Amino acid sequence: MKETILKLDNVTKVYPNGTVANRDINMEFEKGEIHSIVGENGAGKSTLMKMIFGIEKPSSGVITYKGKEVHFESSMDAIKDGIGMVHQHFMLIPSFSIVDNIILGDEPKKGLFVDTKEAAKRCQELSDKYDFELDVNAKVSTLSVAKRQKVEILKTLYRNAELIILDEPTSVLTPQETEKLFDQLRFFKQQGHTILFISHKLEEVKQISDRISVIRNGVSKGTYLNDELTMEQLTNLIIGRDLDNDMDAYKTHEDFHNEKALVVEHLKMEHNGKGVLNDISFAVKNGEILGVAGVEGNGQIDLVKCIVGLQKTQYEGTIKICGTDTDKMNIRQRRDLGMAYIPEDRMGDGTAGDLPISDNLISTYYTREDINGKLFMDNKKIAQVSDDLIKTFAVKTKSAEASVNSLSGGNIQKVVVAREYNTNPKFMIAEQPTHGIDIGSAEFVHHKLIELRNAGAGILLVSADLNEVIDLADRIIVMFDGQISGYFPDGNDVDESSLGMYMLGAKHQSAEEIGGALND
Amino acid sequence: MTDKNTNSKYSKKYKLSLTNSKLFDAIKMIIAILIALAITFVILCLVSDDPINALNTILFGPLTKRRYIGSVIESFIPYAFAGLAAGVLFKSGGFNLGAEGIFIIAGVVVAAIASAPVTTSSILHPILCYLGAMALGAVLMIIPSFLKAKFNTNEMVVSLMLNSIYAAIASHIVRTYMMTAKSNSVASKDYLATAKIPYLYEPYRISICLILLIVVTVILHLVMFKSRLGYQIRLSGSNPKFAEYSGISAFKLAISTAAIAGVLCGMGATTHLLTQSSFYTPSQSLVGIGFSGMLLAMLGKNNPIGIVIAAFLIKYLEQGTAVLYFVDKSVPAEIVAIVEGIIIMLISSQHFLRRLREQQLLKEGLEEHAE
Amino acid sequence: MLSSLFSTLFTMKFVQTVIRLATPIVFAAIGTFVAASTGIGNIAIESIMTFSALAGVLGSYLTGNAWVGVCIGFIVGICTALLIAFFSMKMGANAFLIMIALNTFADSVAIFTLYQITGDKGTTASLATPILGTLDIPIIKDIPILGEILSGHYILTYICWILVILLFILIYKTPLGMHMRACGLNPDSARTAGINVEKLQVFSLILSGFFASLGGVYLSLNYLKIFSKAMVSGQGWMGIAANGIANGNYGVLLLSALIFAIFRAVSIIFSSSTAFPVDLVGAVPYFSVFFLLTLVSIINYYRTKRGKVEEE
Repeated sequence: MKETILKLDNVTKVYPNGTVANRDINMEFEKGEIHSIVGENGAGKSTLMKMIFGIEKPSSGVITYKGKEVHFESSMDAIKDGIGMVHQHFMLIPSFSIVDNIILGDEPKKGLFVDTKEAAKRCQELSDKYDFELDVNAKVSTLSVAKRQKVEILKTLYRNAELIILDEPTSVLTPQETEKLFDQLRFFKQQGHTILFISHKLEEVKQISDRISVIRNGVSKGTYLNDELTMEQLTNLIIGRDLDNDMDAYKTHEDFHNEKALVVEHLKMEHNGKGVLNDISFAVKNGEILGVAGVEGNGQIDLVKCIVGLQKTQYEGTIKICGTDTDKMNIRQRRDLGMAYIPEDRMGDGTAGDLPISDNLISTYYTREDINGKLFMDNKKIAQVSDDLIKTFAVKTKSAEASVNSLSGGNIQKVVVAREYNTNPKFMIAEQPTHGIDIGSAEFVHHKLIELRNAGAGILLVSADLNEVIDLADRIIVMFDGQISGYFPDGNDVDESSLGMYMLGAKHQSAEEIGGALND
Repeated sequence: MTDKNTNSKYSKKYKLSLTNSKLFDAIKMIIAILIALAITFVILCLVSDDPINALNTILFGPLTKRRYIGSVIESFIPYAFAGLAAGVLFKSGGFNLGAEGIFIIAGVVVAAIASAPVTTSSILHPILCYLGAMALGAVLMIIPSFLKAKFNTNEMVVSLMLNSIYAAIASHIVRTYMMTAKSNSVASKDYLATAKIPYLYEPYRISICLILLIVVTVILHLVMFKSRLGYQIRLSGSNPKFAEYSGISAFKLAISTAAIAGVLCGMGATTHLLTQSSFYTPSQSLVGIGFSGMLLAMLGKNNPIGIVIAAFLIKYLEQGTAVLYFVDKSVPAEIVAIVEGIIIMLISSQHFLRRLREQQLLKEGLEEHAE
Repeated sequence: MLSSLFSTLFTMKFVQTVIRLATPIVFAAIGTFVAASTGIGNIAIESIMTFSALAGVLGSYLTGNAWVGVCIGFIVGICTALLIAFFSMKMGANAFLIMIALNTFADSVAIFTLYQITGDKGTTASLATPILGTLDIPIIKDIPILGEILSGHYILTYICWILVILLFILIYKTPLGMHMRACGLNPDSARTAGINVEKLQVFSLILSGFFASLGGVYLSLNYLKIFSKAMVSGQGWMGIAANGIANGNYGVLLLSALIFAIFRAVSIIFSSSTAFPVDLVGAVPYFSVFFLLTLVSIINYYRTKRGKVEEE
């Protein structure tokens, strides 16, 4: 009989805005197991973890840790009791060194001051013990994503965490890096640590877990031994229906005469003397989806900013949208050429949270004739347009006058997609279009992208989610370190691990091969 | 058709509950005013021998004489303009606090034109004063906003520094070029008779500037809530990054809102000078109006009509304290600033009375989930 | 005449004037800096200085002890900071609006209080107020030049420079300071490291109020020796501007504050001459702030454009 380390009894969380994130969750975690918690994006996994880690307090229910009922006031209490968490979005301070990041909140002291020598020594020992291969005096801003994750894990180990929560840890890693992480997790397990592994990638979950708990729509759907569960059963538990992954079936193949929606040639840009974009050339044809795969932070964000016209730093090279050179054009002028843009940060860039949905649904074409009168905007028409869009895109809301803040992540993304879709774009950039939203909404967004593609628009899909790129893209380029490291002319003819080699920079195609991205 | 029905059903349901934000805001405002008056009463108890009469005089004193009512209406107009100017800037998300200095330096232009025989027409003369002040106001207000939009300069500090610089320049110009021999203080010559603004209703000494204010307020209201510019302002004020992403030029918007605000400041300065004085004193005439305008904008929640109402109420209270001051020297007019401050702090507090509203939302959330 | 004015710029007296004038600006600057270190933009420095300047004088007058006045001054400053913290953090108000409102009616509130106690709306000149004096440092005061520069200043000037050093140690050498910087750089990561971000932000606001209030008290109890209406006249804003120019660099912060003080000194010396227009000379310090702030932002703009991006 194994020892129970953590127990949840009827844990419920209702947010002040009325959202019910978790309802009557009952779960048990055993010491020394790797226990996965799976569920769709938005199913309530993150909220549950935040309650275990003391960031949120349950509205009702009991959390028992090591046999004692606990009421964490903050994550400090959880950390003291030996719980550590690696967040999906890293909680590191780039301008601090690795040491400073690790010791933050629990510094070795020499009198009143921080004992920097002792701190560095302890961190280096820890890094060496777990074979992390880090120079602990380096600044975090100079590290790769995988290394930053190691720093995050070191942070929990430094605080003697017995229970380590990893929230979607593989979403930023290449398949190879994921493999390495899993080896480390198994090592932790041997050392007696308990691992809570949060993910929505089922294959990885099957690969690593001892037991699996499923959450659907905020409600627990039970805990199962990994060995007793088939992939199909797991899928059904998570979404209650079969997944529809085969996007190719929806694609039509009309001839758009090889016309180019986007042509990027010899794009170069520097930050502090370091090239962040190094001579990038590719094209997006009308009626195709070009996928950009790559680990976050390899220049994708800068590339997108250059293309849409939001880049504050000067760049070299040419960007043509629908045949027109965009030199010195701002985003408005580029949009007028037929460009639409689904931004990664839907709350920060893509919506104004405290304004009504209707205002958010017209922002990129508010000057268009059909919603304007002679002198003023035509509020009746705007209401009509937004009601139509809300209906077509199945946005779950009481009215178009509700503020965007009152919507769930998936519905906010639908508002963004609906608005961009309604500009009748000839060229669309979709940047992480389904990041962090529920499967239903994600599927819906994918169908809308295919619909646009079939109608002849060129789509540049930038995504860190490899499955998404492989499912949707007609052609794929891989970015590594500000360059295109690989080009795959047939999106159906690739697999994750071969893409992964290029994402890591372990392989690099020849200039001729990559030239196909522009010339095919 | 069915859609409309469900919509109206919802709206009915929410009109009655506190989740309706307009109703909630109104309740919040009323309670804030009541709390402010209660605190005022406590202060009056501390400083005055007859606090009940003092409060009574502050609240109803202005109604006791015709002259008082006229004075409230006459004096609130320039403040309303200052409030409208600040409202436009705040609503677009800017923190350009330059109104104060612009009021003062626009006064130089007004005084210069009003005291010079530029025209014999008593219609054209005030209009020229207005145009001069408005033009200068627009140009000067643009400076901090331009620097912010182009170079990300801290517009708050820059505009405040410019306020002091403008006040110095105004004083310098009047001292060097516009002073009369008869006066000891730094003040301009008297305005010519042609520059005088005609009355709308003489018995109450209300000038036709009231009509100007009403027209401007209505236009601003339409601009804010119906026009494309207003849409841009709302978007940019709510989330500037989203506005930029949507292709709204933050630069153009900053320039145009600053220009509008500057024009409004010019109007306010001219109105104040031509209706309430016969000459211009840089160290006194227009001091404090620009800053008060910012408070009025906060009281009126950047809504043009709200700002005008707030300006009227505040000037009414000030008149009340002025009336009180005749009989009770222990309560200076500055007490209005305290009332104003309390109301502003309470209504800008989103969590003020939040419990009431949250419980309602929580209940609805759980009900819905159960469905 | 002119040449004699310029020659005063290079005398000991000028250096001493600069040090005197720098004190309130440095107080304001470190007040802004400490709040900014945890990510709070305290733009209410000006009003806090006003409140404490008055409270200091009244406290000193009522108790007959200048040091009690100083304490009352900084208690009022801290209370003002707490008021801001309460409304912006507990009540969910926009902190900027609250602080702009505070600045705007600070003078009115001060005048109201002043009037209740003195019956005068302008100054506390009518009150017999014990004030703080100057300090001669033994031994050092006898060293030529150095003695003149370092000795004989107002007591609060010395306290100011001691606090400058203490604040540096606090922010850059102690665990607490590390936590504070973490809050400013990335509140989420500080939070997950078990740091109570809100608590530290309130703490930094309290420190900010404390420093700013000493600036106010310095003006009314040490330097000018009375409270008068609008006496702070932008010195709080100069501190805020210095922080804006410094962008997190402590040395630049102090340097900017010193530069503003130099311009104030120049302005005061030149205003005694009739050779310059008196109004314009008075505006020189404000112009120097305007000019420096604008210049720095223009330089930063072109650096970003050329790809010299500052890593956060």
